[in-house]
Amino acid sequence: MNYILPGPSLLDKLAFIVLASAVLGFGLLTVTRKSAVTALMALIGACCALAGLYATLSAHFLAVLQVLVYAGAIMVLFIFAVMIVNRDDEQPIALRGLFLRAAGVLGAGYFFYRLAWIVVRERRADVLATSITLPIPEYGNVASIGRLLFSDFLFPFEAISLLLLVAVVAGVLVARPPRPTPSGDRERVA
Amino acid sequence: MFSRLLLIPLLPLLGAAYLMLAGQRHTRSVVQTIAILAVFASCVISLDAFFVGLPAVVHEGGISELVYTWFAAGSVEVDLALRMDSLSGLMCLVVTSIGTLIHFYSIGYMAHDEDYARFFAYMNLFCGAMLLLVLGDTLPVLFIGWEGVGLSSYLLIGFWYKEHANASAGRKAFITNRIGDFGFLIGMFLLFRATGSLDIPVILGAAQDGSALSAPLWLGQSVAFWAGVFLFLGAAGKSAQIPLYVWLPDAMAGPTPVSALIHAATMVTAGVYLVARMSAVYLLAPAALAIVALVGALTALFAALIGFAQNDFKRVLAYSTVSQLGFMFAGVGTANFAGGIFHLFTHAFFKAGLFLCAGSVMHAMSGLGDITKMGGLGKRLPWTTRVFQICWLSICGVPIFSGFFSKDALLGGAFGTEAYGHGLAWVGPLVGVILLVAALGTAFYMSRLYFLVFSGPCRADEQTQHHIHESPVSMVFPLVVLAAGALFAGFAGVPPALRELFGKHGESTLAVWLEPAVGAPLAVAHRTEWIVMGISTALALVGIGFGYFFYGGGYRAPAHAFARKLPRLVALVRDKFRVDEIYDAILVRPLQALCRITFLVVDRVLVDKILVGIWAFVADVGGRACRFIQAGDVQRYLAVFAIGLAALVWVAARPAAPKEIQVVVTGRHAKVTLVDDEARSGNLQYRFDFDGDGVPDREGKTASASWIYGGPARYTVAITIEDARWHTRRVVERDVEVRP
Amino acid sequence: MPGYLYILVSLALFFIGMTGVLLRRNALFVLMSVELQLGAGSLALLAFARGLGDQKGHVVAFFVMALAAAEAAVGLAIVVSVYRARKKIDLDGVNQLRN
Repeated sequence: MNYILPGPSLLDKLAFIVLASAVLGFGLLTVTRKSAVTALMALIGACCALAGLYATLSAHFLAVLQVLVYAGAIMVLFIFAVMIVNRDDEQPIALRGLFLRAAGVLGAGYFFYRLAWIVVRERRADVLATSITLPIPEYGNVASIGRLLFSDFLFPFEAISLLLLVAVVAGVLVARPPRPTPSGDRERVA
Repeated sequence: MFSRLLLIPLLPLLGAAYLMLAGQRHTRSVVQTIAILAVFASCVISLDAFFVGLPAVVHEGGISELVYTWFAAGSVEVDLALRMDSLSGLMCLVVTSIGTLIHFYSIGYMAHDEDYARFFAYMNLFCGAMLLLVLGDTLPVLFIGWEGVGLSSYLLIGFWYKEHANASAGRKAFITNRIGDFGFLIGMFLLFRATGSLDIPVILGAAQDGSALSAPLWLGQSVAFWAGVFLFLGAAGKSAQIPLYVWLPDAMAGPTPVSALIHAATMVTAGVYLVARMSAVYLLAPAALAIVALVGALTALFAALIGFAQNDFKRVLAYSTVSQLGFMFAGVGTANFAGGIFHLFTHAFFKAGLFLCAGSVMHAMSGLGDITKMGGLGKRLPWTTRVFQICWLSICGVPIFSGFFSKDALLGGAFGTEAYGHGLAWVGPLVGVILLVAALGTAFYMSRLYFLVFSGPCRADEQTQHHIHESPVSMVFPLVVLAAGALFAGFAGVPPALRELFGKHGESTLAVWLEPAVGAPLAVAHRTEWIVMGISTALALVGIGFGYFFYGGGYRAPAHAFARKLPRLVALVRDKFRVDEIYDAILVRPLQALCRITFLVVDRVLVDKILVGIWAFVADVGGRACRFIQAGDVQRYLAVFAIGLAALVWVAARPAAPKEIQVVVTGRHAKVTLVDDEARSGNLQYRFDFDGDGVPDREGKTASASWIYGGPARYTVAITIEDARWHTRRVVERDVEVRP
Repeated sequence: MPGYLYILVSLALFFIGMTGVLLRRNALFVLMSVELQLGAGSLALLAFARGLGDQKGHVVAFFVMALAAAEAAVGLAIVVSVYRARKKIDLDGVNQLRN
C-alpha cells in the first residue's frame, strides 16, 4: 500500500524538528548526567518526546502506551531503584579497560555511520521517502492494532504476557532481602 | 516366548545386579533369600531342562536357543546363543547345585561380616557368569562368561580388600588369568580364520581331516594344533596349570565358601570344560593333546609334591586342587574326555566338601588355618569329621568312594589311549605312570592333613581350644549333602569292567550321556582296567599308611627324623619349590625395570616435561592473552562486539580485490585488464595510473585500459577501484616490464 | 516528513544509548541507556511501518515495550541485589563471571 500524500506542512516540519532535537538532547543528557535523578528526568523527557514522534508517525496507540508504560510504570520502577541505591557517581566513566571501550564506541560509530550512509543514499526508496503528514483512517488506532494482536499475533502476545509474569516473579525473587540462616548469618548473595 | 535357557544365567545375574544396587538397604535375611532363591531357581530350571528334555539334550545335540543376534558385520554374525547338551547340562547341574549349597553354607559362614550384601552379589555374579560360560554356544559368549568368572573371582579373592595381601592376591589372580585370556583370544581368532565362524557347533563340524583346520600354519603344525595350544594356554590360566598355577594358592585369601565354589568346584574346571568342548579340534592335533596331557600330569605331580609340606589348611587343599585339575587335563589330554569330565564331576563334590570342612574347622578354630596348631578335632566336630573322612577317602581313591572310579577312569584311559598314533605313543603310558605317582602323593598329603587336624591331642592354645564348637546347621547341612555326593557320585561312571560283575553290559550312564558331546568313551581293555584298579587301590592304601606312619595322632618320630635329616629339601618343598621367586626374578623384576625405564623416559621426560610443558606454555600464554578479553566485564564484551561489527561492515563494504590482473605487453604498448565477477563489477569505477605519478591516466567503468610507455623500464601500475554505492575504494598495484 | 529522517534520528539515539552502555560505570545509567536503545529501535520499527503502510511494526513495537518492562523489572532487581551485597553498583566491580 502506498499512500500518495501531499508534502509536509510547515507545522509538521516544526513539530519534527522540535521533537527530534528533544529526543536527542534528552538522550544525551541521560547518558552524560552525573546525578541519577537528573538523568532519570532527562530519560522521562526523552520518552515523552519519543511518544510525540510516534504520534507524528500516526502510531497513536503506541504513543499513548509509550507515555503510560515508560514515563509511568518503568520510570516509577527506576525512581524506586534510585531511592534504594542512590549514590552520586564520583567517577562516572569506568577507567578499567577504557581503551577497549573507547575503541568499541568508535566501532559502533563507524557502524552507525555506515547505516546512516545507506539510509541517506536510499532516501528516495519508497519505504524511506513516504511523506507523512495526513493521518490514514484506521491506521495505528487501538481497534486495528487490537485486531492484529488477537488474530495474527495471538501466540506471541500470550507468550509475552507469560514472560512478563516470569519477569515479575524473578524480580521479586532476586531483589528480596536474604532470609537469615538458622545460625544467624545472612546468606551470601553475590 | 521367554527363553528358558536364558533364565538359567539371567536369574543369578539379576540377583547380583539387584544386590549390588539395593542390597545395602535390606536386612541380612532378605539379602540371603534373594541370593539363594536366584541360584536355586536356576538350579531348578537346569534340572527341569536337563531331565525333562533328556533325550533331546543327550541325543539331538542339545537344546539350543538363539536369544538374539548380538552383532552382524559382513559375513560375521555373532549370536547370543545358548545350548544345553549333555556336557554343558552336566556342568550346569554341578554349578547350580553346588552353588546353591555353598550359598546356603555362606549364611552361617559370613554371618558376622559387614559386607553381607556385597558378598552375595559377587557370588550371584559368579554363578551367572559361570552358567553363561558353560551354556554359551558361540566362542564370544563363552568368552564373556570366561571373563565374568575371572572378574568375580578377582572381586571375591580380594573381598576383604582392607588387608593388602588379599588385594594383591586378587590382582595376581587377575593378571595371571589375563595371560591365559590372551591365549584364549588367539586361539579363538585362529579358529575363526580357519572356519569363518565363531559358533562352536560350526567349528566342531568343520574339524575334519583335510579341512582348513588341519592345514599347516606354522612350524609345520596345523591350525588345529596352534588353536589347541593357545586355547590350552587360556585353560591353563583359568585352571591353574603349569606355568600359570601360581595364583590359585594365593586365591585362598578369599572367604572359604568362595574357595570352595570358585577355586575348587567350578571356575577352575572351566579350562577342562573348554578342552572337552573343543574336543573335535583337539582330536585333529594329537601333538596338542599330548601337550595338554603332559602338562596336566606334571602339574598333578608337582602340586602334589608341594602339598607335602604346606602347613595352611586351605593351601594344602589349594595345591590339591591344582593337582586334581592336572589329573583332569591328563584325562582330556589322553582323548579320554568323558573320563576328564567324570573326574571334574566327582571332584566338584569331594573338593567342595573338603573346603567347606576347612571353613567349618577354621570357624571352630577362631579363624586360624595353621594345621600345626590343630589336632584332635575329631571328637569336638563330629559332623565335620565324618564328612571330611568321606571326602578324604574319596580323593585318595579308596574303592567305592567316587574318587576311586573317576581316578581309575583317568588312569585306565592314560594306559589305554590310542589317540596319539605312532610317533607319540609313549605319551600315554608316561602320563599314566606320572599320574600313579601323583595319586600316591595325593593319598599321602591328604592323609597328613587328616591326621594332623583330626587325630591325636590338640595343639592349639587354651583360649582357642575353649572356643571350639561344631558349626551351625546352615553350614553342616551342605557338608552332609556334599558328602553324600562324594560317596555316590562315582556310581554314575562305573567302568565297564566292574559293571560286568553286576551283570550289566556296556558303558556307564555318564559315558553314554556324554558320548554325543565329547565322543565315545575310550575302550580300555578289561585286563588293563583291572590292573590299574589294583595298583591305584594299593597306592592309595600305601599313601594313607605312610601318612599314618609319619603323622598318625600328630607329629610322630619319623616325621621329625625326616625333617632333621633333609632340612633343605623340606624347606624347598615348603617354599613351593620357590617358583614364585623364580617368576619374580625372570619375569616380574625385568618387567618392573622396563616399566621404570619407560616411566622415566616416556612419562617423566617426554610427556611431563616436553609434551605437557610445551602445551602448558602455549595454554599459559594463550590464557594470559585471552584473559584480557575474558574479564567478566559485560561492557568490554559489548565493546568487542561493536568492534567486530565494525570490522565486518568494513570488510563487506570494500570492493573485493579482482580475481586476476592480466597484463599484455607488446612492444611499448601495455594493456591491463581486471578480471572480476560480472555481478560485482556493475557499480565499480576504475582509475588507472600507469606511470606512477599519482594522477589517474585512464578512468571509466571498464575494467581494462591501455597505455603506451616512453621507453623500456619497469613500471608500477596502480589501479584504484571505487565503489560508487559505498564510497569505498581499494588500490591494487601491478608491475609492468617493458623490454627493449 | 520523509521517513529517512526518522531512521536517522533512531540511529543517532541508538548510538547515544550505546555510548552510555559502553562507557558509564553505574549500573543504573547503563539500564537507562538500554531503555534509550529500546526506544530507538521502536522508533525505527514505527517509521518503517509507516513507510510500508503496514501495522505489524506497531505490534512488534508493542512487544518491545513489554520486553522493556520485563527487562527493567529484572535488571533493577539485580541492581538492588548487587547493591545489597556489595554496597555499590559499579559495573567494573561486578566481574564474578570471569575465569
